[in-house]
Amino acid sequence: MSMINHDTDPSAIRYGNASEFGAKVARVQAAGNDGVRMPEGLENKRPDRAWSTRRSGRQDNQLKRFPFVGFLSVAVLAFLYVPMMIVVFFSFNGGKQALLWQGFSLRWYGSVFTNGAIVNATETSLIVAVIATVLSTALGVMYVLAVDHMSRAGSALASMLINASMLIPEIVLGVATMAFIRLIGLAPGFVPLVLAHTTFCIPFVVMPIRARLATIDHACFEAAEDLGASGATTVMRVTLPLLVPGIVSGALMAFVVSMDDFMISNFLTTAGTTTLPIYIFSLIRKGVNPSVNVVAALLLLLAVIVTVTSTLLTNRKDK
Amino acid sequence: MSGATPNSKTATTQPAGEHDKRDEHGERPAWTRWFASAHPVKPGMLNRLWSVPSILIGLLFTLGPIGVIVAFSFMSRPDMGGGVVFRFSTDAYEKLLFRHDYFGNRSFDARYLAVFGTSLWQALLTTAICVALAFPIALWMSMKSAKVQQILVLLVTIPFWTNLIVRTYAWMLILNENGPVNWLLRLLGMGSQQLLYTSFASVIGLIYTFLPFAILPMYSALSGFDFRLVEAAYDLGAHKPTVMRRVILRAAMPGVMSGIALCFIPAFGSYVQPVLLGGGRVLMVGNLIASQFAEARNWPFGAALSTVILAVTLLGALAASIMGGMASRKAGA
Repeated sequence: MSMINHDTDPSAIRYGNASEFGAKVARVQAAGNDGVRMPEGLENKRPDRAWSTRRSGRQDNQLKRFPFVGFLSVAVLAFLYVPMMIVVFFSFNGGKQALLWQGFSLRWYGSVFTNGAIVNATETSLIVAVIATVLSTALGVMYVLAVDHMSRAGSALASMLINASMLIPEIVLGVATMAFIRLIGLAPGFVPLVLAHTTFCIPFVVMPIRARLATIDHACFEAAEDLGASGATTVMRVTLPLLVPGIVSGALMAFVVSMDDFMISNFLTTAGTTTLPIYIFSLIRKGVNPSVNVVAALLLLLAVIVTVTSTLLTNRKDK
Repeated sequence: MSGATPNSKTATTQPAGEHDKRDEHGERPAWTRWFASAHPVKPGMLNRLWSVPSILIGLLFTLGPIGVIVAFSFMSRPDMGGGVVFRFSTDAYEKLLFRHDYFGNRSFDARYLAVFGTSLWQALLTTAICVALAFPIALWMSMKSAKVQQILVLLVTIPFWTNLIVRTYAWMLILNENGPVNWLLRLLGMGSQQLLYTSFASVIGLIYTFLPFAILPMYSALSGFDFRLVEAAYDLGAHKPTVMRRVILRAAMPGVMSGIALCFIPAFGSYVQPVLLGGGRVLMVGNLIASQFAEARNWPFGAALSTVILAVTLLGALAASIMGGMASRKAGA
């Protein structure tokens, strides 16, 4: 937005003649998530000092003026990360007590994978998360592509409905879903669990896909149609491939949200369908067991992997 | 996913472009216009029928349950066990404020109001501290180079995606009597303190959980901020507090508003932190609701409590979005 181009009139580039069109499509495909499209020569240009009226260098100048901001920020980051490091540290605890450090050992890592209850709960969680991820991703993609065709009021109502599950306090959604399931004559169990997970995963899928769609120039689709592709072919061969980073990132988020959910699952699970968070919660309440540390450290690892992958996907400048 | 159906559906509207007008003249039967809309599907997009599954599942598993819980709050409880009897009654709401003794006399009862008070206090304290901690780091992040900003956003997002139980459990490890904090206190000769299972622990857990919720919107409000404005303000003779208040804070305000909403709403209905970190000492509305649907089994009362916090939440969200809108108009965004 702050980038000004003095040499070329941007509108001439946007709606230029047909010979530039192919190059433009290619460039749009390569555009990142910033949504700002620049003429060819300026794409790799960074704002330099000449564009600013500032006399001295950017960062030094500002940080000098807010000296305590940097210190506080580092303290906040430490506040966020020290507890996690302590969890990882305690997962290597050799003692029989979860909360008391008694020397380094990997014994609890070994025991977690042979602990029937933990393995079962992990399996349930994984199955629910995978099904919910697939369903919510498919529904989310369909929704994002179809919402464009609705009237203004219709799409506002629809997105309110889709996002409502993020706004409603989880405890309320949990008990309400349970009451609803009972009312329509179902028993809590696997199917309601999967459907409820799918519902609250959809907004997390929709967000990155919408963001990605906003960065794609719709001229690509028009070009495809002009070249004779049918509506379905355009969606399959142009829209979906261009959306892939958003879709993968949304699917990853859905997977984590489903794996993490405690409140809503808590009211929908039965003895056979205990998910991992519910099992850990009950373990912690019963009196902590060292294997909790290991499961916690592994879940932490999952969050790190998913977040890093998702960030790399969204920020990637695919050339 | 998209096999034969999109073909047939889009084919009816697809000869788009030149043929748009035919639709508007109403040559087609009314029902096709409703389903396939007056304006053609844009190339590369789908017909709105494709959104039906998402909307349906939203209706079934979001709006449906909320409707049911509000309806349940106006019904009576059965003589024994859980569930409801379909007979209109406002007993559940009366129970929030009044108590009946054996003789049927009604007297004011502040027990449940106290629970709401605890929730409100814990949520407000959490929100205030989160916003106060989030502002400097959001400002700091937004002043870094693009590459560093990406890494910092990643660092703030990782805790956000970490399992809630794990994040809460981390504080059990830290605050318990043999934990690092007490170890340090003993080393300093202050003796070990009861830190876990206090309302202090519960607030710490809530702050830890919701801090990223405050940082991210504030950062996104500030990340597009043109810091040359700060420079300009200084050049025009403004002092540091004035610049902070009238330039930076004003730009950050929409983010502050959504940060407040994103912290307060889930904190008010929290369940896990008060149970694990507050032990039996902190009773919040979330815990009260859960117990009404489990042990005590007074579903209408639980439903009434849910309805009340739902109303509080929606009002809070509405206020935040109105104030956020005002703030962003002021910020000139």
